[in-house]
Amino acid sequence: MIGNDIVDLQLASKQSNWQRRGWLQKIFTIEEQQCIKDSKTPETLVWKFWCMKEAAYKAHQRRFSISPKFNPKNFECLLDNKVRIDNHTYTIYTEATTEYVYSIVKKVGIDYYSKIYDREIDLKYNLKQMIAQKLNISLSIAIEKDSNRIPVVHIHKKETDIQISMTHHGRYSAVVLVTG
Amino acid sequence: MTKEELLSKLKIIIVPYVQNQEGLKNLTEDTDFIKDLEINSANLVDVVLDVEDEFDIEIDNDAMEKMLTVKASIEVIENKLASK
Repeated sequence: MIGNDIVDLQLASKQSNWQRRGWLQKIFTIEEQQCIKDSKTPETLVWKFWCMKEAAYKAHQRRFSISPKFNPKNFECLLDNKVRIDNHTYTIYTEATTEYVYSIVKKVGIDYYSKIYDREIDLKYNLKQMIAQKLNISLSIAIEKDSNRIPVVHIHKKETDIQISMTHHGRYSAVVLVTG
Repeated sequence: MTKEELLSKLKIIIVPYVQNQEGLKNLTEDTDFIKDLEINSANLVDVVLDVEDEFDIEIDNDAMEKMLTVKASIEVIENKLASK
């Protein structure tokens, strides 16, 4: 399974008022709320936790073919960069700068390729180029979303088990790819 | 409250968060907040909080997870209003 998520911190502070009454309570567990409250940089932590939850959601959704749900509170951020949902735990790789937070979920020990773009690009086109290059093929590659809106890679009209995840927010986009 | 009234109230709530105005023109029960209206997923929380304020209801975690479409949101609101 694979999943990623990016948050443009400038845009996030414009789009969302995390201090709105009830806002944190809808998304974060009691423990997470306490961590945010105790943090010297609460806003950054809000978006770090959010990003981790979103990346874990995508990986979990892909793994079990779950239909779309809005249940961020069920994805619980633990210590050591882990997120737990029901009895499954995912390890999250997070990169945080002053401009963005980026999280990836992948199976431990698996090779993956990830790229962040800081300009407007055609994410799908770039991803297709990347797949063609990685696999050294020139066949027609298509990226389709399945009934759960999980992206699936087709090569020469055949479904493949290449795993991808795409994310976009504000100035930033990112892709992550596991070719198997 | 009729379904039409409910829909028009819901529409007013979602307007500030919509990033794809075309989707708003063609709003139906099947409209998906993220896919069709490109509402940012973090703003779904604001939609839920605005719905709570507007209808004076409390939306729990189980109800919130369904609120990704107009239809599902209307169902949640109707259920919560009925059990008030």
